Amino acid sequence: MDEKMSIMVVDDEEIVRESLSQWFKKYGHVVEAASSGFEALDKLENYPFQLLFVDIKMPGMDGIELLEKVKTEYPDTMVVIITAYGSIESAVKAMRIGASDYLLKPFKPDQLSLVMERISHQKRLLFEHDYLKGRLEEITRFDNIIGQSPVMEDIFSLIPEVAQSDSSILLTGETGTGKELVAKAIHAKSRRAHLPFIAINCGALADTLLESELFGHQKGVFTGATHARKGFLEVVSGGTLFLDEIGEISPKMQIDLLRVLEEKKITSIGSREPVDVDFRLISATSQDLGKGITDGSFREDFFYRINVIIIDIPPLKKRKEDIPLLIQHFLEKYGHETTKHVDRVTRDATELLKRYDWPGNVRELENAVERAVVLSQSRTLGIKDFAFLRSSLVPLSRPLSLKEVEKQYIQQILEEYDWNVTQASKALEINRVTLHKKIKRFNLERGA
Amino acid sequence: MSSNKRLVGVVPLGDVPEIALKVIAAHISGYYKLSVQILPPLEHPEYAFDERRFQYNAGIILKAFESMRFKDYEKVMGILNLDLFIPIFTHVFGEAKQGGKFALVSLFRLGKNPDGSPSPSSLIFERAAKVALHELGHLFNLLHCREKRCLMHFSGGIQDLDEIPLYLCRYCSDFLKNRLRRQPDNEESLKKLDTIPLNRLSSQERFRQ
Repeated sequence: MDEKMSIMVVDDEEIVRESLSQWFKKYGHVVEAASSGFEALDKLENYPFQLLFVDIKMPGMDGIELLEKVKTEYPDTMVVIITAYGSIESAVKAMRIGASDYLLKPFKPDQLSLVMERISHQKRLLFEHDYLKGRLEEITRFDNIIGQSPVMEDIFSLIPEVAQSDSSILLTGETGTGKELVAKAIHAKSRRAHLPFIAINCGALADTLLESELFGHQKGVFTGATHARKGFLEVVSGGTLFLDEIGEISPKMQIDLLRVLEEKKITSIGSREPVDVDFRLISATSQDLGKGITDGSFREDFFYRINVIIIDIPPLKKRKEDIPLLIQHFLEKYGHETTKHVDRVTRDATELLKRYDWPGNVRELENAVERAVVLSQSRTLGIKDFAFLRSSLVPLSRPLSLKEVEKQYIQQILEEYDWNVTQASKALEINRVTLHKKIKRFNLERGA
Repeated sequence: MSSNKRLVGVVPLGDVPEIALKVIAAHISGYYKLSVQILPPLEHPEYAFDERRFQYNAGIILKAFESMRFKDYEKVMGILNLDLFIPIFTHVFGEAKQGGKFALVSLFRLGKNPDGSPSPSSLIFERAAKVALHELGHLFNLLHCREKRCLMHFSGGIQDLDEIPLYLCRYCSDFLKNRLRRQPDNEESLKKLDTIPLNRLSSQERFRQ
């Protein structure tokens, strides 16, 4: 038992709680005690205990009921059942529900030691399993593209198909929808997977700089060119080139790239010697390129060359059913990165996040979850943790009366304080009775 | 009586062989280099007897200690020749609250070998000394140690107790030194402690450290 764990002892007898807690403290474990199943569930809401020692016979909620709830709500939490009223039936039942082990009290001190050894071993196996599962997902999944909506399922099935060919692909979709992730997934599934994937944001580079980046240059061809430098079109050598915001490139650059795509040769700036290149082009845009063709800013021949296959990635507001899955993914990501124990979002908060329009798409959702995780004081994120989104929730489509503004503002403050009237009245600087009257007058309801 | 603040009191509860008290006191003084006083015996702890288990509840005795006046002693070790338990366990050899002031040592189960045969008195006293030093370690906030060759390694049975050494591993020894260093009026104990465990190590153990 060489690993420190967070343990909660759940028993209605104080002396048992005290004895077990003391024993675990002697191993340096973090120990909390709860005198009932309800108290244990409350504590689990706020802290992810790794291991629970639960007495079967407790008033109110017995150990088996608590075990069932824990295994439903927190499947990763391990539970050891202890009882003085043990029977084979209850032991079998507990183990079937998911208890990690079972102890009949009083037990010999070394029996508890053995149980802890086994728990430690199980924990190590689970860790290895999770690690390997994560690695496997990294290899086989579409690189963090999360979704279960029909539209995303279509994209998932399209990726391996289009990855097999070398045709140019155009990814369209609003900013923040994950176009680069899709490009990476296509690269990872292609025969070029072991070769470089180079991503360039065309919108972030001036035309001359982009030309130099893509084609490379010879020494001394312009000020600052102190060394000869290979362009990305050459460096990518056999891999995939991802050009984001392709709609931003100049007509001259469009012609140059069109030539490269047709001839598979480039000539670096200041050189006369063409070099053979081999790459697969994936482009992406958040603009309407058809409009660019109409107004002459985007060449039609280049457009048809880059969009042999077109994949449209929907904005988040059109696949809101993916939001809970994305939230969970980002919670795991930032819970791990920040080492904060935040792993849940309340139903109300999830509903709030589903109501929001997410103009910045998945990227905005990711940022919102990261911010909430960093600032959260609890294990569970609630509505008030996403209060910063609230101002954007109800766009004003018409002028509001003073009464309507008051009603909306009171509703907003109440939601922020999770309907704690005392705190909300303090924030509004009115007394509680007045606030109650206003709630009644405006017919305000939680989550309205 | 500030000079006595570092003092460890060894107090018998009920009928305890005097030689056992002297052995325990000598080991505390010899291994941890703390001053030790053997105190007059306290009454047999009838109040802690559990009629269902025919054993004495260590938790209740420790609670009773808290209401007694041992103000001149930093730590107090109660020694009994009674079968001790805490509610979750069938028995305990000793009991101490992590970082607390009071600990108990029971001689009751130390007299038999794992095969049930009687043990020689020298072995019984060595076991008693190990339990006392182990529990005193907890009072100084030492945790159970994963190192099997360390006094702070957990012993669930007599065989385990016989297998652990009478000294701390290097890590626990350093921890104890630091723990005692935090208390400015214990310089003398600390200086002496520097030389304790290594003198007692076998050549193999010295090599390991």
